[in-house]
Amino acid sequence: MKKLIVLALMVVLITGCGEAKKTSETEENKVYSFTYNNMNFVLGSEFDKSEYGNETSYAEVPSCAGLGVDKTYTYEHYEVTTTPSNDKDIISNIYLTDSDVETKEGIKIGDSLDALTSAYGEEYEKRDNAYTYTLDNTHLEFIVESDTISSITYYIDIE
Amino acid sequence: MKKFNIILIIICFLILFIFLNKLVAPKYQTDLVEGHMISEYYKEEKNHEVIFIGDCEVYANFSPMVMYQDYGITSYVRGTSQQLIWQSYGILKETLKYEIPKVVVLNVNSLRYSEPVSEAYNHLTLDKMKWSKEKLDIIKASMLEEESIFDYIFPIVRYHSRFSKLTKEDINNMFTDNNVTYNGYLMNKNIKGVTTLPTKKKLATYTFKDNVVSYLDKIKDLCKENNIKLVLIKAPSVYPYWYDEYNNQIIEYANKYDLDFYNLLEKADEIGIDYSHDTYDGGLHLNLYGAEKLSTYFGDILKNNYDLTDFRLDDNVSSIYNQKLYMYNRDKGDE
Repeated sequence: MKKLIVLALMVVLITGCGEAKKTSETEENKVYSFTYNNMNFVLGSEFDKSEYGNETSYAEVPSCAGLGVDKTYTYEHYEVTTTPSNDKDIISNIYLTDSDVETKEGIKIGDSLDALTSAYGEEYEKRDNAYTYTLDNTHLEFIVESDTISSITYYIDIE
Repeated sequence: MKKFNIILIIICFLILFIFLNKLVAPKYQTDLVEGHMISEYYKEEKNHEVIFIGDCEVYANFSPMVMYQDYGITSYVRGTSQQLIWQSYGILKETLKYEIPKVVVLNVNSLRYSEPVSEAYNHLTLDKMKWSKEKLDIIKASMLEEESIFDYIFPIVRYHSRFSKLTKEDINNMFTDNNVTYNGYLMNKNIKGVTTLPTKKKLATYTFKDNVVSYLDKIKDLCKENNIKLVLIKAPSVYPYWYDEYNNQIIEYANKYDLDFYNLLEKADEIGIDYSHDTYDGGLHLNLYGAEKLSTYFGDILKNNYDLTDFRLDDNVSSIYNQKLYMYNRDKGDE
């Protein structure tokens, strides 16, 4: 019987080691953030609505199996989406909706591809029309059509 | 004697290992019931003339009970949460081992995804699927980088943290379970109408990826080989946005291969869907009231175009379906 208990414990321990690896990643590293009018939106940080003024509209998008509700707050020039993570709503996506706002490096919708690469360099991943820069698990994606930036999105990998 | 002891220990170990795996695996009976849907098909009489495959836009939106009640159609929804196109292909292949329907209805929403999206959704689709070559193929095609195939083979690897969260359900439903759907339809009576939706974002591309189209080709070919009529649909869910560019590609594909395509989103008014009342989550999925309207509408299309049998006139089938209908109507609150 003792042997069986030991074996069972071994099974639990062996399989336990597998999952520990999966949950190890944390912040610390630099991540992308968007700043507007002294308000700072940091990807992966908890969203505190009271810090950012009134949104012009609000939408909830539940997942199809009750795995959480994404919340989208639309402001005048940008849209912020939060995703539940460890019982908090974290900022998971920031979508700039017009050219009145710019990234920290001064890039805005309507700028040229040259301006983009001058500001952010050539270390991007290009897929279709998207030029994506990555910092840790956060990304800054520019969609470029006819050499002109038509969309800017910040997003984070969600586990 | 020593050899006998070793064999005994190995047998005991295996029994314990199987037991622990069974114990710790989610039962999907009261929480995340979407994980249970895939398994319910195996218990069914395999007499369906119509099989639906696809994501939540099929299991939430189409009620086989209504299609039987109104038209005598026997159908089953083999939908799962965020079912990706290679998963649809595998599930269809598996289905054809059991029965050959006259019509397969594929919801095309999933064509937008060319890569595995979520480990959680993978498990909802796969945990309760019977072991087969198809399941193995789906796992291989669906796994994310950080996943291991052992997560799927041995529940204890993926779910060992549930040891501290086990409930009565885990004991009671280790070897038995109850259906959570009605022929694959997951009933939801809540009402939450469409109010506001997020901005329609620009995408890096609107072109379906080659790997996605190749699975659509495989589904088309599989249906052709088995003399099954493949019908493409886009269910009337208003979000995530179904872009015109997506729609045009499906129209082109359907024309090229002589398939029927019904964009039911464009027919919402004709169907009578009231988006302020007929959805349970702001427009992503229809609730019972919307699903019944859609099922009546689409059942009529099926009945009039695909030479289906009116099984209400078949005593054997109708006795089974009348029982199902009784439970469906009881749970709806009609009985």
